[in-house]
Amino acid sequence: MQNKIDEGRFRELLEESDDLQSDAMRTARTGLNDYVEAAREACVSAGRDASRWGTVAAAAGVAGGVMLLSSPTAWAAAGDDVAALQTAAGLENLAVLTYQTALTLPFVGGSSANPVVKAFATKTMGQHSEHAMAFNAAVQRLGGKPQTGSDPKYAEVVKAAVPKLKGAADVIGLAITLEDVAAQTYVKDVGLVTTAELRQLFASVAGVESQHKAILLAVQALVKANQPQLIALPPDIAKLPAAAGSVGFPDSFYPTTMAAPVEEGAIR
Amino acid sequence: MSIFPHRPRSAEMAISEHELSGLTRELDDLHESTFPQVRKALDELTANLGHVVAKPSTRRGFFLGAAGAVALGAAAACSGGSSGAPKPSGSAPAVPTSPPAPPETYTGDLKVVALATALENLAVSAYSGALQKAGAGQLGTVPPAVATFIQTAMKQHSDHAQAWNAVLAKAGKPTINDAPLSITQDQVNMLNAATSVPDVAKLALNLENVAAQTYTFATANVTDVGGIMTAATIQPVETMHAAILNFILGQYPIPDSFIGIGNSLKPDMLTVK
Repeated sequence: MQNKIDEGRFRELLEESDDLQSDAMRTARTGLNDYVEAAREACVSAGRDASRWGTVAAAAGVAGGVMLLSSPTAWAAAGDDVAALQTAAGLENLAVLTYQTALTLPFVGGSSANPVVKAFATKTMGQHSEHAMAFNAAVQRLGGKPQTGSDPKYAEVVKAAVPKLKGAADVIGLAITLEDVAAQTYVKDVGLVTTAELRQLFASVAGVESQHKAILLAVQALVKANQPQLIALPPDIAKLPAAAGSVGFPDSFYPTTMAAPVEEGAIR
Repeated sequence: MSIFPHRPRSAEMAISEHELSGLTRELDDLHESTFPQVRKALDELTANLGHVVAKPSTRRGFFLGAAGAVALGAAAACSGGSSGAPKPSGSAPAVPTSPPAPPETYTGDLKVVALATALENLAVSAYSGALQKAGAGQLGTVPPAVATFIQTAMKQHSDHAQAWNAVLAKAGKPTINDAPLSITQDQVNMLNAATSVPDVAKLALNLENVAAQTYTFATANVTDVGGIMTAATIQPVETMHAAILNFILGQYPIPDSFIGIGNSLKPDMLTVK
C-alpha cells in the first residue's frame, strides 16, 4: 500500500485522542464505581427487610436494580448481569487477541502495512483491552469470576480464519464480524441488564464498537475498489468515491440479530 | 421541514441525483431488514407509555447526580418504591400513587421522546441546510463522498424522527416537526456562517456527538424497555456518523474508548412544554 500519511501529524492525533479518551474513561470509571458500590451495598444488606431496603436505596439515590438484589429472584437477575458482563469480556478478549495476531502479519503490522491501518489496529486493540478491563472489574466487584478467556463461539471462527488471512481485506472482514457481533451484543444487553448504570455502560461501549465497524467498512470499500492509497489521514476527500461517504453506516437502526446470548461467555 | 432558510439549488454538487437515488434505494433495502425489530420496540413503548406516571423523579441517578442534572423519566415503578430496572413491555400497568401530573404536555419518558424528536429534526435541518448551501455554491465544491454522507445521514435522522414522532402520536401527544431546543439558534447561526465543507462537517460532528451522548444518557434514564431499546439501537448509528465525520475532517475517527454523557441534552433544553 502506498504510504500517504504524515506520521508526525498522525502521532499528534493519536496523542490528542488519548487525552480525550482518558477523560471519557474517567467518566466511565465513575459510573462503573457507582454501579458497583450500589450493588455491593445491596449484597451486604440482602437479608434486611425489603421496606427498609426501599428507604435506604431511595435515600442513597440507588437505581432500582439494586432493590431487585434484595430478593431471591433478584439474585438470578444479578447472575444474568454477571453473565452478560463475562460474555462481553470474552468478546473483548477475543478482539484483543485478533488484533494482536493481525499486527504480526506483514500487511497489517509490518513493513508493507498501510500506517493508518496499523495505527488503527493498535489503537483499537487498546480500546478493546480497556473495555475488557471495565467489564471484568464490574464482574469482580459483583462477586463473579473475571472472564480472561475468549468467547468460545467466535474464538472458533477466528481460529479457522487466521490461517487464511492473505491480505488486509481478509483481516478487515474478520474484524468487521467481531466488531459487529460485539456491538449487537451490547445493544441487546442494554435491554436485558437490571440497572440503569449497567445499561449505560453497555451503551457506552456499543457506540465505540460500532464506530470501529464504520471505519472498517469504509476501509474495506477502498481496499475492494483497489484504492488503498486513499486510506490516509487526512484523506484526500475530493478523490474518495461517493460510496465511501455512506458505506460505513448501512442501517438507520442498529440490528441485534447477531447478538451473542447472555450465557455464551459466562463462567461459574 | 427545515428550520434553516431555503436557498435555490444549483449544479455545484459533484454527485448526481440519480446516483444518490440509487444509493438511497440500496440503503432503504438494508434498512427494511432491521426496522421490524425497532417497530416492535416502539409499539411496546407506545403501549406502556399510557401507564407511565407523569411525575418528576426525586431520586438522584448516579450519572445524573454527578452531572448535577435533573433525573428523567420517572415511572410509577420508581415513585412507588420498586425497581428502576426496565419495565418489561407488555407487563401490567403500574397503579399511579402520586399526585396528579403537572400540566406539561410531555412528561416522564415522553419528555425524552420529545427531546429526541427535536434533536433528530435539528440534525435533518442542519444537513438539509448544508445541502442547500452546497447547491447554491456557498461551500465550494462538495466532494461526492461528502454529498453522499449528508444525504444518507439526513435520511437516517429523518427515520429516527419519524419513529419517535409515531410514539408521540400514538400516545395522543402533538408530534414535533421542528427543533424546539435551547441550542437550535446557535446551530442555525453556525450553519449560516459556514463557508466550507469543513465548517459544515464540524457543525455536524458536534450534533452527532450530542445525539450519541443524549441517547447514551437516555438508556439509563428512560424507564420503558421499548424506549430504552429504541435509544440503544439509534445511538450506535449516531456514533458511526461521528466516526466518518472525524475521518472526513482528518481527525482520528474514534477518539474515545467510551461514549460519555457530558454533552448530552437534558430535558430542560426542550423549549416546548
